[in-house]
Amino acid sequence: MTRLDFVAKRIAFALVTVFVAITLNFVLFRSLSGDAVSALRCRQCTAQFKAYERKQLGLDKSKWEQYWLYLGDLAHGNLGSSLRTEKRVTTELWDPIKNTLPMIALGTVFAIVLGTMVGVVSAWRRGTAADKAGLWSGLCFYAMPPQWLGLLMVLFVAGALGLPTSGIKDPTLGILSEPSTWTVFVDRLRHMVLPALTIGLVLYGEYALIVRSAMLETLGEDYVLTARAKGLSSWAVVWRHGLRNAMLPVITLVALSLGFIIGGFITIEYVFSYPGIGLAVVEAIDQRDYPILQGAFLLLTLSVILFNLIADLLYFKLDPRVTS
Amino acid sequence: MSVGRKGLAASALVAALLVVTGVVAGTARTGSAAGGGSGILRLGTTNYIDSLNPFNYIESQSSNAMIMVYPQLVAYGYGAEGYHIVGDWATSWKTSDGGKVWTFKLRSGTKWSDGQPMTADDAAWTINTIVKFANGPTAVAAPSVAHATHASAPSPTTVVIRYARPVGNVLAQLEQLFILPRHVWEKLAANGGKELKTYHPELHLPMVTGGAYTVKQYEKKGTTAFIRDPNYWGSASHADAVALTYYTNGDSMIADLKGGKLDWVDQVPFEAINVVKRTKGLVIDNLPGFETTNITWNSNPRKPKNRELLDPRVKKALSMCVNRDQIISVVFSGYATKVETLLGDVALYVNPHLGPLRNDCAAANKMLDKLGYRRGSGGIRMAPATQGKNAQPAHPMAYDVITPTSTDFNVNREFQIVKEGFAKAGVKVTQKVGGDSTASYALETGSKCDAAKSVGYTGYDIAMWDWVGYIDPDFMLSVVTKGQWCSWSDTGWDSPAYDKLYAQQGLTVDPDKRKAIVWKMQQMIYDNFLYTQLVEERLIDAHSSKWTGIQSALNGYSKQYYTSPRKT
Repeated sequence: MTRLDFVAKRIAFALVTVFVAITLNFVLFRSLSGDAVSALRCRQCTAQFKAYERKQLGLDKSKWEQYWLYLGDLAHGNLGSSLRTEKRVTTELWDPIKNTLPMIALGTVFAIVLGTMVGVVSAWRRGTAADKAGLWSGLCFYAMPPQWLGLLMVLFVAGALGLPTSGIKDPTLGILSEPSTWTVFVDRLRHMVLPALTIGLVLYGEYALIVRSAMLETLGEDYVLTARAKGLSSWAVVWRHGLRNAMLPVITLVALSLGFIIGGFITIEYVFSYPGIGLAVVEAIDQRDYPILQGAFLLLTLSVILFNLIADLLYFKLDPRVTS
Repeated sequence: MSVGRKGLAASALVAALLVVTGVVAGTARTGSAAGGGSGILRLGTTNYIDSLNPFNYIESQSSNAMIMVYPQLVAYGYGAEGYHIVGDWATSWKTSDGGKVWTFKLRSGTKWSDGQPMTADDAAWTINTIVKFANGPTAVAAPSVAHATHASAPSPTTVVIRYARPVGNVLAQLEQLFILPRHVWEKLAANGGKELKTYHPELHLPMVTGGAYTVKQYEKKGTTAFIRDPNYWGSASHADAVALTYYTNGDSMIADLKGGKLDWVDQVPFEAINVVKRTKGLVIDNLPGFETTNITWNSNPRKPKNRELLDPRVKKALSMCVNRDQIISVVFSGYATKVETLLGDVALYVNPHLGPLRNDCAAANKMLDKLGYRRGSGGIRMAPATQGKNAQPAHPMAYDVITPTSTDFNVNREFQIVKEGFAKAGVKVTQKVGGDSTASYALETGSKCDAAKSVGYTGYDIAMWDWVGYIDPDFMLSVVTKGQWCSWSDTGWDSPAYDKLYAQQGLTVDPDKRKAIVWKMQQMIYDNFLYTQLVEERLIDAHSSKWTGIQSALNGYSKQYYTSPRKT
């Protein structure tokens, strides 16, 4: 199989998956009980008023008609408008995405760095106290429900470190006086620390265990034995020869998990009242705001597929054995 | 490693240290008292402001926010005698023509936040616009001017409202009317008024306001900042600003209150009350609340299955086995009281002669035995077969109970106590988690609910939920009318006699006569056991001892809720 064939096949598969996901998203949310109009409860919500609302929102059309209209809009790059605010879906989701991405990035970087270091040390010092500490800490954090870990942060860590427990900015910032850029930056970072740390610890466990496992396998290879026999330092053997090859499954894992966490850790955003994409989805479910839900899940689907594709292409580039 | 790489690594380390220092040292400072006031009052809540458009909002916090930024003709005050109507923008009012005409005198010299004069013309325009589009874009605000036909402004400080007939609760209705600046909103009323509903003033700051505050900042799921308006014609706010911050969960909110990052929370979660009480520097306020919890009985006379649950005697017997004291102590940590009326004990015209419902399971079992519901195998009673229209075969008395996930109390624990009580009566119930409010309500009404055709309310037997009532009883009385099928009705009850009384009380101007009708309606609800009223939650809020003058009872009723607090 040539490189071009490989890439073309992967892209074609990705496109088909996107189409199937779009259809499933459309069907899934309309299977929920109630709709955007029944989510409204008001004294004047007579049958006549509800019929008027349904007509305004296009909910009076048949499901097939709504589906074709949706596909048609998508083909023109239009994700539709929120049933609740009537603003464009892209506008409604932009702020939550802007809030979620840096928080996710910070947590993921922390998890990758710490997970890799701990995994390498664990494998390198197999059987020692360091290995046991790394293994057990990885298992513990991997097993912890994220929302529970988040609550522990709120109850025991926030107060101790003087860190905020919610939101993305201090409530009083900018109200009576204009803050400096540095103040705003540091404030945003302070609000990101706990949710990012929670995400980081949850992911760290998984990464540490995978790196440890991959390193153990790699360190047992003949070429590593050869490197040792040649008199290379432990540092060179582990980091230059062992880790480089052990990172292949880790890169795949990171790329795959990034796709999912772009959707925003809903439970963590909920614990920290962090106004990201996760909370936006929860609100849209409450209000049966189909266009927002479809837009958010399309985003999640595209990110999973994109990162999956990147993982495949990276693997293809890093491991020549894939083409044979 | 080369010198260049070392230098880069060192620089990165220094930069990281600087950031970490800044992060840990913190940047949070309470704003200075720029205007000589008490600084910023930091209020935490688990309810968010979804909109400042009075034609398009759902959340109660939005109503509270609109009270702060828009003028109202009247508002509620609270004193030793309870809640009573007081003037807000209006200084006085009178009725004429048998109660069909209401004339309000307004304060003079008032201005909107953009400096434009605020006159009776704004009030008249707002009312006429709501009336004009009452079945469309302004439907949400229509109940505030129910039965009104026209408003006029014979002078800048006089607004006259004409009604089709005398209305019994005009002032209570008008308390929920928010006057809008005509010069901003009039253009939105063109082309069928669709934009009246879709316009969100909070997204076009600075929005033109006419209340105690202007809005400096709006974040739906973050912090909304209200700044004291120097042009406000009422008692000025002691705080320079109020920062209302939304929390998705009470744990984070209480953690911030205890950590000094908040000054006040508007509702302490019941499981956290005792912890907050023990925290130095925090003060708890314990007041009568408006929220009542209940067992909801499907009372649709056309329901096809389990029709034994339409018999008030059966419902009463089962209710007598529920230990409400246990609910109060376990679910609400003691911060609730037993309640008998759907209106809640804080409302006007509460009927004091209802019940009380005794917790006497022995007597309840005798009642059920006498009615012919014998115990079968496993101790579960059997409903005997019936004949005629709506005939049903003999069947065990075993039912599902719908519980929503959207309650602000532990409904699962409350269900367990109800389940234990019903089991003592020989009735088995199984919890059916309904999901959020929308999903749970859809389970009650069915997907094809149609009030005009009397279709709906056939797929459930029992639910457990809550109501947040109002001071005026009109709304709560309406929720069991046929007119609210598929909207606010969750019992599916259909009683023409009751509906007639409901219409009548709305048009009865004499307070004593109205009270008599309202008492009778409460008795009908109670006698038919549409609900088993369980408890009424206490309103528990908490604030820092550094602040005083907090009037918790005015939450959702008056601008003074925000303007009164001041630093000690």
